[in-house]
Amino acid sequence: MTTSKASTTSIAAKYGTARRTVTVHVNERDVTREVSTRTTLADFLRDELGLVSVHLGCEHGECGSCTVLFDGHSVRSCLMLAVQTDGHTVETVESLAGNPAELHPIQEAFAEEQGLQCGFCTPAMVLRTKEIIETGRDRELTDAEVRHEISGILCRCTGYQNIVRAVQSAQRRCRGGGRDA
Amino acid sequence: MTYAYIGKDRRRVEDPRLLVGRGGYIADLRLPGMLHAAILRSPVPHARIRSVDATEALRLPGVVAVLTGEDCKAKLNPCMNFGPATIAQYPLAVDKVRYVGEAVAAVVAENRYLAEDGVDLLEVDYETLPPVTDPMAAMEPESALLHEEHGSNIGYERTFEFGDVNAAFAGADLVVEDTLHWGRSAGVPMETTGAVAQPGFNGVLEIYCNSLNFSYFSFLIAATLRIPSNKLTMKPVPAGGSFGSKLAAHKVPTLAGFLALQVGRPVSYVEDRLDNLMNSDHHGCDRFYEARMGFRADGTITGLDIDVVDDYGAYMQFGVGHHGNAFSQVVGPYRFRDVRYRIRAVLTDKCQQGAYRGFGSEVHNWVLERLVDQGAARLGLAPEEIRRCNFIQPDQFPYTIPGGNLYDSGDYPAVLDKALSMIDLNKWRAEQKRLREEEGRHIGIGLATTQERSVFSSTEFWSMVEKPVLPVTSSPESATVTIDPTGQFQLLLHCQSMWGNSPETVGATVLAEEFGIPPESVNVRYADSAHALPSTGPGGSRYTVMVAGAIRGASRKLRKKLIDIAAHTLEEAPEDLELVDARVQVRDAPETGLTLAELAATAYFFALSLPEGMTSGLEESYTYDHPYTTLPAPDGSDFGVFYPIMGHACHIVVLEVDPDTGIPSFLDYVAVHDAGTIVNPRSLGGHVTGGATQGIGTTLYEELAYDEDGQFQSSTFRDYLIPTANEAPAFRIGHVQTPSPFTEYGIKGGGEGGRMVAPAAVSAAIDDALREYGMRVRRLPVKPADIVATVRAGRSAEGAV
Amino acid sequence: MKPPPFTYCDPESVDEAVALKSEYGSDSLVLAGGQSLLPMLNMRLARPEVLIDINKIGDLQRIERWDDILEVGAGVRQYELEDHQLVGELVPLLPEATGYIGHIECRHRGTVGGSLAHAHSAAELPCTAVALDATVVVRGPSGIRTIEARDFFQGRMTTALEPEEVLVAVRYPVTPQAAGHGFVEVARRAGDFALAGAAAVVNLGEDGCFTSVSVGVSSISDTPVRASAVESALIGEAPTENNIARAAEEIVPSVTAADDLHATHDYRRHLASVVVRRAITAAVARAHERRNGT
Repeated sequence: MTTSKASTTSIAAKYGTARRTVTVHVNERDVTREVSTRTTLADFLRDELGLVSVHLGCEHGECGSCTVLFDGHSVRSCLMLAVQTDGHTVETVESLAGNPAELHPIQEAFAEEQGLQCGFCTPAMVLRTKEIIETGRDRELTDAEVRHEISGILCRCTGYQNIVRAVQSAQRRCRGGGRDA
Repeated sequence: MTYAYIGKDRRRVEDPRLLVGRGGYIADLRLPGMLHAAILRSPVPHARIRSVDATEALRLPGVVAVLTGEDCKAKLNPCMNFGPATIAQYPLAVDKVRYVGEAVAAVVAENRYLAEDGVDLLEVDYETLPPVTDPMAAMEPESALLHEEHGSNIGYERTFEFGDVNAAFAGADLVVEDTLHWGRSAGVPMETTGAVAQPGFNGVLEIYCNSLNFSYFSFLIAATLRIPSNKLTMKPVPAGGSFGSKLAAHKVPTLAGFLALQVGRPVSYVEDRLDNLMNSDHHGCDRFYEARMGFRADGTITGLDIDVVDDYGAYMQFGVGHHGNAFSQVVGPYRFRDVRYRIRAVLTDKCQQGAYRGFGSEVHNWVLERLVDQGAARLGLAPEEIRRCNFIQPDQFPYTIPGGNLYDSGDYPAVLDKALSMIDLNKWRAEQKRLREEEGRHIGIGLATTQERSVFSSTEFWSMVEKPVLPVTSSPESATVTIDPTGQFQLLLHCQSMWGNSPETVGATVLAEEFGIPPESVNVRYADSAHALPSTGPGGSRYTVMVAGAIRGASRKLRKKLIDIAAHTLEEAPEDLELVDARVQVRDAPETGLTLAELAATAYFFALSLPEGMTSGLEESYTYDHPYTTLPAPDGSDFGVFYPIMGHACHIVVLEVDPDTGIPSFLDYVAVHDAGTIVNPRSLGGHVTGGATQGIGTTLYEELAYDEDGQFQSSTFRDYLIPTANEAPAFRIGHVQTPSPFTEYGIKGGGEGGRMVAPAAVSAAIDDALREYGMRVRRLPVKPADIVATVRAGRSAEGAV
Repeated sequence: MKPPPFTYCDPESVDEAVALKSEYGSDSLVLAGGQSLLPMLNMRLARPEVLIDINKIGDLQRIERWDDILEVGAGVRQYELEDHQLVGELVPLLPEATGYIGHIECRHRGTVGGSLAHAHSAAELPCTAVALDATVVVRGPSGIRTIEARDFFQGRMTTALEPEEVLVAVRYPVTPQAAGHGFVEVARRAGDFALAGAAAVVNLGEDGCFTSVSVGVSSISDTPVRASAVESALIGEAPTENNIARAAEEIVPSVTAADDLHATHDYRRHLASVVVRRAITAAVARAHERRNGT
């Protein structure tokens, strides 16, 4: 094992070993797990909590497939460590609907507009849409505005056209008396 | 012909599970005791491997095994290969590395973190060799050789001529010529290729993999692994995108299988993005053209002469099938008859070429359209005029092209007219002039067409080779339709065909059409290779056509059985019955009939109520062979009919180029496609927009670049630039439907056309925007620096005058 | 692509962070927003023995005004600058430039101090800091030290920060009310590293001529560049199209970046003058708007 010199010395020793116990509020539940301090948030969600909607497309913060909501904000979960989420809130797409038969209005909008093909970027796109809606956009975004807002998440299948429509449709659905987004 | 379900905009049946994050991708699979592999990749482009020292890695707690090329050499046969036998490859490099990123060793550990720790501790002694990076220099006798056994860096060389090109050019009023380079890009799906292998029940090696065509080739993986093919089962796993990159993706499952056999435990190997960009085995084409086209003064094309050097990279797994593909539509939608085509496939220290949406025909189309546009400009014809005057006419089908392939049907003027009806070109041309004069802005309009060959027959993989190793002529597709005892439908597809296309939606739609059931009620499954009937899987825009044929074939058999049971039960003649809306009824007395559930109960549980000789159950399978293939001539004078299901498309692009920055932005984009009878307009539209966006990526952004020393420059998404929503235009889609006379329902494939035409249309628009500076897109991707250099050169030439 | 092993420390005070830096120096790295460091860890291009996560240090997350200075804590997230009322009023260039950093998901985590300490020459905040004459505040074992932004960036991704120091804040002079600002960036795709970018702040005198011009330029050299020659060519001149265009050419000799995959040296020489011209032009337009009270 490539042991770290630092682990034996005084100041760093205070911060404990290579493992930590964290308690995270994930999808409206507190979960407590022991994690390796180098485990990324994405791997923690996927491997420890089984939230496999969090997809790893690049692991260097460029594709956006692993986007989750961290304290309500969209973040790349491959660029955070699991230990950093102790005491914080994380949402994945499983928080909207876990059951394919009971889709959330945002997911309904994506289904209606075929705003997906292979599904790999889809959880990220859905969560980003949720954030767009929640950040108080009362007005339906224009085509160009939606494109700008979702440009941090790559989709290789759709050419984005149907995703743009889905985001706009989701805005209408959530404004028009649908379930709270 | 009107249909109840086919052709309707309906939701996809795949989507609900994907929307809740349960796509079932390979990386989501967990098996008890599963280990993880990570790969050490070559940092040098060309070297002999003197030794790999794994001592330190094996000491690391959690590391279970380290395997190298030496192990592969001892325990494996070379990988499947449709190229020259003298160019062998293994999942881990044997003796030599031939490109940056080639796999050198695999570390198997308790988790991926530890596996990568182990990779860090490996020490490799390389004896570096001169890098071979320039394909022109690689052909020189003094060049270092990639494969000593092959004896040359030219993997394939041949010239084909159909008609008489010299005569055609002699009779031409104008011969245009161009030097063109189509740069490397690749499918690069958001999900990489991965596999999980485990030694399973009864000594069978089970490999879960998101590769697409294993029903067709799993025996070849077994051969590499030196196990009997009935001791290997490939398990289907949906893919998060492919675009060619998971077509016959064999090294990943082979490696996972090898590792699992060596350690006796389940092993997962999922490429990370570095693995995938450097070493996907599916880099797209990288071609250098000297191309000429002859014209008469009225715009009629007289002939085409192509000399192409194709930088294949280090291996040639798919042979030169990419050029066979181009031959399927070598004249595009045009009537000229004289074609010469010289190919040199060159080996260099780069990742090998594989499949990318178009498989080589998209490159050919770009070249063809570049030449046509140059001819139009030189002859003073509008791009739509020169195309219209050369189109094969609707009454000429079926139409045999030079080289022997056949175009089944088409109405190219109708596609062009539809596109022109969706955009006011006169208005845009006036606006272009006004904006240039009044605001100094540079608007460009580009129009291009493409043929979209679909449904490969498989002969193009070998028809260009003098002594083909495996001259296959089968590329079948199968389906099994089951009605269960309560009347519910199961559809079994015989390969892993889900990569972001819509195999389940297509299948459910066809069953809905055949039986009058709601498409959403059908349950679709995928067979593993131990249970699969013959199946080739998606690729070459074949799947929708082929699986519809298979499902309809199975449905016919099942419908007959249902009607026979009903006839027997109702004591009516079978010919007096019909199946309408999930019910078999008397044609003249529709109130008399039996539901599918009633008939199913009889079929499963009341054998004594069945017609004499009928056996219990309601399940039928059907294997649908390619609808129209003929054998090529052995001497290469004729390739036969191999890709006859021919779609067509026309794209019209309006964009603006900022001449000071070289940054283009789209103002309008019209895409009209004819893919025969449409199964689902919106999902076909998704292929059009997705494909076109990839074409835009190839044209403007994406580049798998190697520097002069052979170092790879595009190993991350910071350098390999996939279009985001900002770069993709707001498309306007139109459809024309010219059914195929050869396929069930008249369906043609539609998966690739967007990428096959967008590069030509966008290139033309950029030329048009900067015509005053002599802009001509000759090299893809065309980068801002290229554009600005042309503008500045043009401006200083103006200033000099 | 998984991070290598490291010892993870998450101090809750600057003192503790400085103590860790003092002990581990260049064997340690500070984790702020992680938008550059985590990719480097995942690709194992960075292999710190100790990772010092400063995200729990509340003191680093303040935005305060005192006198004519806006002080932004190193731990302030980039997105917070974008609609922060005080920031928008006092240093309006800052939110505008921040909007160009990557994509929103990056700005939700990325911090002000992280961007400055990473010191990528294509980055927006270093370029802006240079243009605004900002001061970087660092804490080491012997206390606080301030460094002018233009001295802070020393070379390719290297800064004046000593191994035992922690970047704690950046101080921006409040932009005069009548000043105009502009930010222009050209990238292959929106959100990519700039091929070249320029941040400009101008003041116009009673006669309408430039009384001050500050321009920072990104991605043309190893560090963000202050366009001094451009500035001096404009002082006292009228903000005409010609004057601005001529002065913008003065940036060209500062372009030292070599050819790379995305841009050639020649292209950057040209582009540098384009972005400088456009940024100054935008700044002038804003200055006019302010004067006219629109």
